[in-house]
This record gives sequence, C-alpha cells and structure tokens, in this order.
Amino acid sequence: MTTPAAATAPVLEYTRASRWYGPVIALNDVTTQVPPGVTGLLGPNGAGKSTFLKLAAGQLQPSQGEVKLLGVPAWGSPEVFHRVGLCPEADAFWENLTGRQFLTTLLRLSGFDEAECKQRTARALDEVDLAAAQDRKIGGYSRGMRQRIKLAQAIAHDPEVLLLDEPVTGMDPLNRRRVIDLVRRLGREGKTVVVSSHILYEVEAMTRRVLLVHNGRILAEGDVREIRDLLDEHPHTVALRARDPRRLAAAVVCWPAVVSVRLDPAGEWVTVETTRPDEFYGALHDAALEAGVVEMHSPDENLESVFRYLVAR
Amino acid sequence: MPIYDQGYRRYEARGPLRKARFWPITREALRLVLSKRAFLGLLLAGFIPFVVRVAQIYIVTQYPQADRVLPIDGRLFGEFLNQQIGFTILLVIFGASGLVANDLRTGAILAYLSRPLTRRDYVIGKLLVPLFLCLSVTLAPGLLLYATGLSLAPDFYGKWELAWIGPAIVVHACAISLVVSLLTLAISALSRSARVAGLALFGLMVGLEMVRVILQHGFRQKPAMLLSIQTNLRAVGTALFGIADREVVMAWGWSALVLALLSLGCLYVLRSRVRAVEIVT
Repeated sequence: MTTPAAATAPVLEYTRASRWYGPVIALNDVTTQVPPGVTGLLGPNGAGKSTFLKLAAGQLQPSQGEVKLLGVPAWGSPEVFHRVGLCPEADAFWENLTGRQFLTTLLRLSGFDEAECKQRTARALDEVDLAAAQDRKIGGYSRGMRQRIKLAQAIAHDPEVLLLDEPVTGMDPLNRRRVIDLVRRLGREGKTVVVSSHILYEVEAMTRRVLLVHNGRILAEGDVREIRDLLDEHPHTVALRARDPRRLAAAVVCWPAVVSVRLDPAGEWVTVETTRPDEFYGALHDAALEAGVVEMHSPDENLESVFRYLVAR
Repeated sequence: MPIYDQGYRRYEARGPLRKARFWPITREALRLVLSKRAFLGLLLAGFIPFVVRVAQIYIVTQYPQADRVLPIDGRLFGEFLNQQIGFTILLVIFGASGLVANDLRTGAILAYLSRPLTRRDYVIGKLLVPLFLCLSVTLAPGLLLYATGLSLAPDFYGKWELAWIGPAIVVHACAISLVVSLLTLAISALSRSARVAGLALFGLMVGLEMVRVILQHGFRQKPAMLLSIQTNLRAVGTALFGIADREVVMAWGWSALVLALLSLGCLYVLRSRVRAVEIVT
C-alpha cells in the first residue's frame, strides 16, 4: 500500500522551463508536473511536444528554468537514464543491424549482462509483436515495424518513466491497438508514461489526463473529456491507406457515424469524416482487415480548431 | 483509508553509472569493422613492413657487414613507425571514418545518449576504435619487432645505450595513433556521410602532404612542412629515434606544437558536434 502523497508525487517537474533555438521559441515558460500514470501530451505539429519530451529525457538543456526528472535535473544526469525509456519521433537506429542485435546492443549500454540482454530482448520483441522479424535487418523494416522496434528499445530495460513521442504514427490499426493497450497496461502497473500525439482520440484511448500544448505553452491540462466536448461540433478526420481502398470506402460509407468519404486521385487513400470517432474506430477493425488497411493517420485540423477556441478564450 | 495500487517496483539494473560504460560502444563498432574480410586483409597487409624489418635484423645478425647499408640500431624502429603512418591512414579511412557520421545520419546518436552514458563516454567509446586499429599496426608490431630484435641479437639490443628504444616506440606509436584517431573522429563528426568523411580525411592526410611537397620543393618554403600532418608526425619520430630525414626541415618542437593544437581542435569539434539533438538555428 502506498500513501496518497507518494502515489501522486511528480515524476517530472517543469519549473518556468523555456527552450529556444536561435530566434525560435520551442517551449515557453512552462511550469507543470507530471504524476505517475499515463499523461497525454496533445498538440498540433510544431507545438513543442517533442521539445517538451527531449527536455524531460535530458537530451536538451533548458535555455531557462529547470526540468527535474525523478527528483534530479534531467540535463546532465545520465545516471537517471537507467530508469527512463525514450521512444523518439524520428528514427534512431543502425539500419544494418537486425532488430535483435539492435536491442541487445542498447541493453548492453544499459549495463545488463549477456544472458539478461537476451532474455529482455526476447521479451521486448514479443511485447511489440516483432519476434518473427527479429533476425531481419532494420533497414528492411516497414514504417510500422520501425515504430515498434523503437518502442521495444524504450521498454526493454523496464524503465519507470517512458517518454513516447508519437509512438503509433504510421502503424496499421491492429498494431495501433496493441500499442495503445501496452501503454494503458504500463500506466496501470504504476509507470509514468508521457505520450505525445496530435490526435485527440488516440490519446483518449490511452488516458484521460492530458496536457494541451500549443505554440510552446501549456494551454490546458486535465481531463480529456472536457476537450472532447469542445470537439463535438468539429468532425474528426481519418485518412486510411488500404490495399483495396474502394472496398473500404464502400464499407464505411454505410456507417451512421460517417459523414463523408473521399478517395484521393491516386486511389490509395480514403479520407473519412466522422462525428462519432469512438463508434467509428470500434467498427473499423473488421473493415480494415477485409480491405487490407496498411496505414492510418488523422490530420490535426479539427484539433487545431479546438486550440483556436481555447486561445480565443 | 484509500487503498492504492501497489504500483511498479523498479528492477535495480544498475544504480550509479558503472565503470567502462564506453566499452559496449567500442566492442560493437570493432565487431562490425572486423567482420569485413577486405578490412582484415588490409590490417594484415599492415604487417608486411614488420616482416621485412624482421628479415633485415636477421640478415644483419647473419652478415654483420650488412649493417652499413641496413642499420638495425634505433633508426630502424623510427623508420618502421614512420612507414606505418600510411597504414594507419588507410585503416581509419576504411574502418573508422563513419563512426560518428553514421550515427548522426541515422539519428542513432540519440539511442546512445538516451542511455546511462555521458557524451564523454560516447567519444571515448568511439575513439578507442581508430586507436585500436592504429595501435595494432604501430605499437603492436613495433614492440614485437623490438622483442624479435632482442631474441635475434640479444648482445646488440641488450646494451644499456639502446634501452631507450622500447619507451621511444611506445611514445611515437601512441602519438601517431592518438593524433590520427582524434582527427578521424572529428572529421567523422563534421559529416553525415562516411564517404565524405573518408574523402575529407584522405584530403587532409594525403592532400596536405602533396601541398607541402609542392611548396617546400617548388617554392623553397620551409614552414610549409608544418602544413602536413604526416610530416609533422614523422618529425616527432626523427627526434625520438635520431633519424636524418631531409623532408624535416624545422625543429621538431614546432611539429609537436602543431599536432597538439590540431588535437585540441579535434576535441573542440567533438565537444560541439556530439549531441543527441542537432540544433539548427
């Protein structure tokens, strides 16, 4: 049994933290605390989400203010990285290594012996469903597989804090679901997971606690449902790339939750607008399997409109 | 009383930073480099001069009069090490020019620096790779040659007056290896392409030597000697082993100063370029 104070003590603490790149302010005077559990970092592209995470991961020094991770300054404290897993947005691996070699090498850097490296590698690959592709070179991995191997390296050393930058981008619906379940489970286990996304419904599937970032500032924080209420008037847009896009379009157009369906001129992508995303995502699984959906993303125009609304307030 | 989830209990992998944490970086890089057969062939070719020098010592021990044309005193070791500079350049161009460049290109540097490692650990881990390659064709055969000399001609090399040869081999081999390794890593950190870094390294090591030859011989410019990294390294060798080298036309102290400044410059480049996140302003 833990005390309430210990259970909610901030794992990550920003105190008037700013970061600028030359004349560009990426994060502006941010003061916030992140408690254990899953926290969604929500904001449009270029809002400062990645900078927020890089500061937390100790990969960037704050230009001003302080960022503390597990009670110590995140910058210049590599000893704390034993307890942190970072899944960066951009690719960060050696393409000529196999998935297994990649994880084993990184685990060695974390100080595990050979036997434990093997065991942890196998477990992490299993978690992200890459065991079958473990002996293939990363250079030949698809976008979704690359995302999953990045996630595997972040969780392989069993860290307390996980910083995941757009972890489900480029994944097919099935793996997206798996990763969302994994994040939720890690949060339930008591780990601190900060997961960034520009898709509200993606974050909502993982957690109810969100930080809204816009133009380098924390615009709002709290329960995701409040933000969702603001979104009701704006249809949610989902773009899907499928092997049989016409079949997919024909299937989804009949759903009551869908208000419009559009095929791109190249005939690869189907863009769907829905007013009830939960219902849409719930029904999508079977249709996605039948039509062979290989990639899915959600443009952030609708989220942008919420930010405009919040800024105007 | 509210009951909270027991929560996650951290597995205590390692607490504080462990010692020699740079070693996995070196090990992995060396494994990759040495897994290429062509590279192993090049490494072995670096031992051909060693075999020739062993033959030289053997011939002189069998025919002492040959000493007049093939001296086997300290100069032999200095000339041998100076000769090996060429091999160190080839080895680092083919085996180490992509060490940092590839990490910068693929973003893998972030994978390293998000682990319990400092930037210094990363640099040391990478630096040990060219250092190992260079020492394997300078220090290792140099000391082996000395040991062979001692066994073939114990009366000659066992003399107290020649006891300086061993330490001089260590100093010169380490100087060559350190300068070449630092330069390799710095050039690698300035590029995102192993090929570009390799070409730049070739240009610096071979191109500057050609410029020196043109300026020194064509225009009688003595200070041009300081332009060439190879000649500066040779100048240190000539001083250590008492060799007469007509290309070395300035005091060795100048060369040592140039090499020291070059090394400091390389460290500065590494300090500013080795970052997990590239900042473009």
